[in-house]
Amino acid sequence: MSKIDGPDAPYWEALENGCLKLPRCGSCQGWIWPAAHRCGACNASETNWVEMPLNATVFTWTRTWHRFGLTEAFNLPFTTVLAEIENCGIRLLGNLEDPEQVDPEIGQRLVGRIGSTRTPANELPVINWSRV
Amino acid sequence: MTHPLLGSTAIAGVGLRQYKRGCSPLPERSLLVEAVLDACKDAGFNPAEVDGFVSYGDDKNEPVRLMPELGTKELHWSASVWGGGGGGIAGAFGLAASAILSGQARAVIVFRALVEGASGRMSAAVMAHHLNDHLLAAGMTSPAQLCALRANRLFHHYGIQPAIVEDLVRASYHHGRRNPEAVSFGQEFDVRTLRESRKIAEPFRLFDCSRENDGAGALLLVASDLAKTLAKPPVYLLGCAQGSERGWGDLLENDDEALFATAGMRGVAQRLYEQTGLTPADIDVVQLYENFDAQGVMSLIDHGFCTYESAAEFIRFENLISDGGKLPVNTSGGNLAQGFIHGIGLPIEAVRQLRGESSNPVPSASTCLLAGGPGAPTVSSAIFANQIP
Repeated sequence: MSKIDGPDAPYWEALENGCLKLPRCGSCQGWIWPAAHRCGACNASETNWVEMPLNATVFTWTRTWHRFGLTEAFNLPFTTVLAEIENCGIRLLGNLEDPEQVDPEIGQRLVGRIGSTRTPANELPVINWSRV
Repeated sequence: MTHPLLGSTAIAGVGLRQYKRGCSPLPERSLLVEAVLDACKDAGFNPAEVDGFVSYGDDKNEPVRLMPELGTKELHWSASVWGGGGGGIAGAFGLAASAILSGQARAVIVFRALVEGASGRMSAAVMAHHLNDHLLAAGMTSPAQLCALRANRLFHHYGIQPAIVEDLVRASYHHGRRNPEAVSFGQEFDVRTLRESRKIAEPFRLFDCSRENDGAGALLLVASDLAKTLAKPPVYLLGCAQGSERGWGDLLENDDEALFATAGMRGVAQRLYEQTGLTPADIDVVQLYENFDAQGVMSLIDHGFCTYESAAEFIRFENLISDGGKLPVNTSGGNLAQGFIHGIGLPIEAVRQLRGESSNPVPSASTCLLAGGPGAPTVSSAIFANQIP
């Protein structure tokens, strides 16, 4: 899925405009992620993109120490969190501010702000999370 | 009703060439050709008669290109199981058996070849299959990091002690130490090597991760009736399942909550046991694909050998070794300690074990489970045996 042409293009556009939007089925109201053009649960094809606050909890995390390819923009070590967005349950990968290298706890509350990652090809929006 | 796969095809020959990463004496395709020739020689089968090829994990060697060097008379079947990782390895045998049982091919090679100069780093190739902007933006560009997320969930949500992986790693090195083909041959493994190795992506350190080799492996599958006429005793395919259950897959880490800290293999394991009429208690040996040791733990749980609750009691060094263990695992050393050519060494060890040719023989072993790459979106498993139950 790429920023410009996937069914998740509205997600990227929203982040670039400073907010988080996630897709929800217009019929059964289920959240759809990865984004899709239809709802496989109820077969409806109406999707609404709903603005959500940048509140989440830690679902899981890792701290990367090895210099993997395409991570050149990150200072080692860097901590990644899989953040479960509150009141919707969709999980998003993002950065965790972790200057002291304190292990996150599963279920810990997070607030996010939108930043960006420089990749070899372009600049991608990303959510930077910090612990409440 | 007996399942059509049960004992109807068998592996008749195996070939394995393995070298240190970056040290293959031959180009990738040449190495693969040699492994195919080895497998045919092992079986006493004319390589020109091989008419089918199956691979997995985005192998780059399109079978038609092997024909001139093998002297192939006619190619009748070439196919690959989807997926960039090792998830499809066991499914490749089901795909080969499908060709044979439907009359589309007679002698099918299942293979995987990997030489860094030709295919680059395997971890990067696997990742290229799955990479997207969500992963790139978060710097999650390797299988190790994605599997680490699952491992931390396993340890911190399910309360499994991270040290559980140590016995699995120790058992692998215990077996590798006695296998002349293994990267760890002749080496004593001290668990401090694992504990003190450099951090990769927490919770993983270097020795929690399988490390790539150059090499090629090939296995010849034919109808069981034909296998009985060849040089080596047949190793029968009893069953094979591949795919993915609902709520698991390439879902941007949004797998069902109950499946997240699994190998994604509960569905294939259940179908495999249903197909064969066997249960975990009927399995004598396991060749367990461990890209990362925590994923190996999850795979053992998914295949019903233990649960989250009983894992610590079951996954113990004494239980996992060929010297009297209840369930010997990775008797060649596995991906961690034998070597890693995208897992192809595992089914080869299954065959050797069931023929009595293993460096770590399990007395009277008659069944061997091959658990494919855990954590992959498309996963697969198979059961082999030296007799049909």
